[in-house]
Amino acid sequence: MKISTRGRYGLRALLDLAVHDGQGCIALSDIASRQALSFNYLEGIFAHLKRAGLVIGTAGSMGGYTLAKPPKEITVHEILLVLEGDLSVTDRALPEKDSEIRSFLRSEVWDVLDQEIENLLKTITIADLTDAFLHRDHSSQCSCL
Amino acid sequence: MKLSTKSRYALEGLLYIAIHSPTEAVRIKQIAECTKISVAYLEQIFFLLKKSNLLTTVRGSKGGYTLAKPSQEITVGMIIRSIETHIVPVACVGSLSECNSRVRANCVSRQIWIQINDTINRIVDHLTLQDLADRYKAQNLTAKKGDSQ
Repeated sequence: MKISTRGRYGLRALLDLAVHDGQGCIALSDIASRQALSFNYLEGIFAHLKRAGLVIGTAGSMGGYTLAKPPKEITVHEILLVLEGDLSVTDRALPEKDSEIRSFLRSEVWDVLDQEIENLLKTITIADLTDAFLHRDHSSQCSCL
Repeated sequence: MKLSTKSRYALEGLLYIAIHSPTEAVRIKQIAECTKISVAYLEQIFFLLKKSNLLTTVRGSKGGYTLAKPSQEITVGMIIRSIETHIVPVACVGSLSECNSRVRANCVSRQIWIQINDTINRIVDHLTLQDLADRYKAQNLTAKKGDSQ
């Protein structure tokens, strides 16, 4: 059971964007170098985030990206759903194919896990994470997340 | 973020045994028929469960598989962990040294992965095969009562 690199890198890049919220458009190349992530990979991820309405892209020499909503209004659930697709721990049910035990376990175990993970991720916003970043241990000064 | 079918099927196989034959050995063919999992695949899975000491084999004409310990001592977490190398959503949950990023010291998203991991563990480590077998039987009993009315 794994969160993909797309989910992990995308979340980190968005946090970087959120930390710099209010400073105008942020160039992807700046995020890439601060976060030690590949610029090309980020381009792909941000095209996706833009289509999903989480970020706004501006073209031009002063262009870049900004968050489409205030950080308080973007939950980690929303972000991971866009980046990972389905967050469920199992594949979708094909009810006619499920044995009795399988459909029982789906409702008693797997759906419970999915629901609890969803509840958790819906309570955490990008603002919570940027707060955690800004109040982290400052003994190691660095501009990264 | 998917669990492997192997670990889901492992739970299905063990739950079948816990429900239908908690004391006597069950033949793998019977489990395969009821769970609609192939015998060959179940054999691979049961091999791993035997190695983790959750399942034992009984030889002879009445032979087959049986739980290696009482079903109230087998948790869903133990079953999943005997199949998956990692139950954690991201490798860094176990140890930050798993992360190769040069900026890992300032990582805040790791907190999310740890919380997802804790949420999963809280559920799977408190749910035993016995709990599930009891619930399954109770549900099937009420379903049958409903049918006959």
